Amino acid sequence: MGLDIRIPLGLIFLIIGGIMAIFGLATHGDAALYARSLDFDINLAWGAIMILFGAIMFFAGKRKKWQDTPADPRPWEKGDATGKAPH
Amino acid sequence: MNATHLTYIDWLIMLVYFAFVLGIGFALKRYMRTSNDFFLAGRSIPAWVCGLAFISANLGAQEVIGMGASGAKYGIVTSHFYWIGAIPAMCFVGIFMMPFYYGSKARSVPEFLRLRFDEKTRAVNAFSFAIMTILSSGISMYAMALLIQTLGLFKGILPDAMIFHVSIVLSALIVLGYIFLGGLTSAIYNEVLQFFLIVAGFLPLVWIGLRNVGGWQGIKQTLPASFTHSWRGMEHANTNNLGVEWVGLTMGLGFVLSFGYWCTNFLVVQRAMAADSEESARKVPLIATIPKMFFPFLVILPGLIAVSMGSHMTGASSAAGQPAGVTATASLPASAVTDMDHPHGIVPVKTDPITGKAVIDSNGQPVYNYDLTIPVMLLHFFPTGILGLGLTALLASFMSGMAGNVTAFNTVWTYDIYQAYINRKGSDAHYLWMGRMATVFGVALSVAAAYAVTGFNNIMDALQLVFALVNAPLFATFLLGMFWKRTTGHGAFCGLTIGTLGAFIHHGLTLPVGDAVGIHGGWIHVVHHYPSDMAQNFWTAIFAFAINFIVTVVISLLTKPRPEPELVGLVYSLTPRPVETHLEWYQKPSTLAIAVLAVAVVLNLIFA
Repeated sequence: MGLDIRIPLGLIFLIIGGIMAIFGLATHGDAALYARSLDFDINLAWGAIMILFGAIMFFAGKRKKWQDTPADPRPWEKGDATGKAPH
Repeated sequence: MNATHLTYIDWLIMLVYFAFVLGIGFALKRYMRTSNDFFLAGRSIPAWVCGLAFISANLGAQEVIGMGASGAKYGIVTSHFYWIGAIPAMCFVGIFMMPFYYGSKARSVPEFLRLRFDEKTRAVNAFSFAIMTILSSGISMYAMALLIQTLGLFKGILPDAMIFHVSIVLSALIVLGYIFLGGLTSAIYNEVLQFFLIVAGFLPLVWIGLRNVGGWQGIKQTLPASFTHSWRGMEHANTNNLGVEWVGLTMGLGFVLSFGYWCTNFLVVQRAMAADSEESARKVPLIATIPKMFFPFLVILPGLIAVSMGSHMTGASSAAGQPAGVTATASLPASAVTDMDHPHGIVPVKTDPITGKAVIDSNGQPVYNYDLTIPVMLLHFFPTGILGLGLTALLASFMSGMAGNVTAFNTVWTYDIYQAYINRKGSDAHYLWMGRMATVFGVALSVAAAYAVTGFNNIMDALQLVFALVNAPLFATFLLGMFWKRTTGHGAFCGLTIGTLGAFIHHGLTLPVGDAVGIHGGWIHVVHHYPSDMAQNFWTAIFAFAINFIVTVVISLLTKPRPEPELVGLVYSLTPRPVETHLEWYQKPSTLAIAVLAVAVVLNLIFA
């Protein structure tokens, strides 16, 4: 199918991870907030990990170019003998 | 339970998720030009995407909420639902059955039954499957609305009386929106998204939880051995938490129920059938086994952590002292009472939704609401921010459960009911339109089912009952159909209907100890008591399978088989093996299956 799932997957992790990391930075050192997570700023740490994962997925998905022009015929309809989609 | 106070950050994270879910549907709408695109994703999806969708479609309420609840109620023994009750069956469907499903060009599992047997066998499967998908989707929807209401997510935003209804309508509209627009591809893509969000939401929960209770060693020192050993006491039903002995477990769950589900259920098989080649289709279930094997650590472990908190073993194991980190339990609510045999930690007491009072069992003991284990863990450990992510993960699991069922339903309805019996000569555009309409009334029926679902404390028990009655006899039909060329359509039809009837009769003649006659069984006459609901479900499945197997063999021997040339591509002995000469040994599906099974054995041994 024309849309590479890694692009929306990467984007959602970048956005949610970004929100968490920024919020974590803004609230860093707030003992009352992070008492639940055993005094650990989990928003910042986990947000950063999510950003990293999102970036890897997004750029891996972007490396493919054919999905940007989903005109007829689609890549897997161009007489590819193997019948494989070019993912 | 007090209302959950979410901040704008938590809401923002949830809104981002919903925007992406619907955005994917809109982005894929332009590719939905034929019914093939809508129902089969154009058979163009890479194996790893289908593989993640394969398990994500199963990652609904029964997985996250149900497995967390069972982890808290029964302990690590719940891992049998993965290492015994899923991995072997997933390997089997990938290695042996996918070549038939994919190679036969059938568009659905009921259609495969028509190709292999006859129209009436397809009809039985199509109608029973359609009912099951609606029921499962309704259960997911109901569980989600109940959870939103219990957690008080909309408290202060909506009147209390409206929260349940608004939750049902909102979840229905979102699932309807993205499937209506993007069909199976949209469902598969969202399932992949949901898979990663569920992992992202639960991994930090397990990490903090384990730190809090002193790691796995801390749990072992805190809980009774029956909670931390999956095979201990399995020689007899009365000596383990599940209330079922090893024969019932391995035959009922490990063989009949799990093979019946993973090998014949179109909900999951549909994901593999969307793969871009037969080779990919074979790899889909095998790829899915890899995360599936480790899911107990993500969904069962939080249950064990929850009951570890505030529960203290007496005797030899407690002599070692409390593990470091358990001091945090000082902040536990008053309900965290110690019970050596049935620890409940921070699992809340079940309350009557009308009176608001604690529910008490026949012995005067409080009844605990194990279905709230995971949500309570999220609220206990997650500060605002990551709490939004955790709740998003929870909502994502419900969405994937619902969407998987709705996409399977719209395909079976359109191809196996509408096209087969109502309008055979419609154009492709007409069937594409019908698929979209089926999505609308599939969601509407799910809403109706959601309002009809009540009566079980543990969602998984209810689903197991449905699977036992509908799925259990089915695997015998496929097993004989694919591996015994003598099996006839009449044999399959009689075996399937009498097997399902046998399942109902067995359920009507037996009752779990402590349950009242009715939906739990015994509605004909109680001739046998099982130690638990689980044991009854497993043995119902075993009886249904055996009856179907015997009836199918007997009737097949009495009726005329189809000519062998008609069965090429449908029966194992008459079908050329898949060509693998271009693959290195480590690329072959069988190598991956052996490796996965070996890891599953090791995991069983570690936690035995």
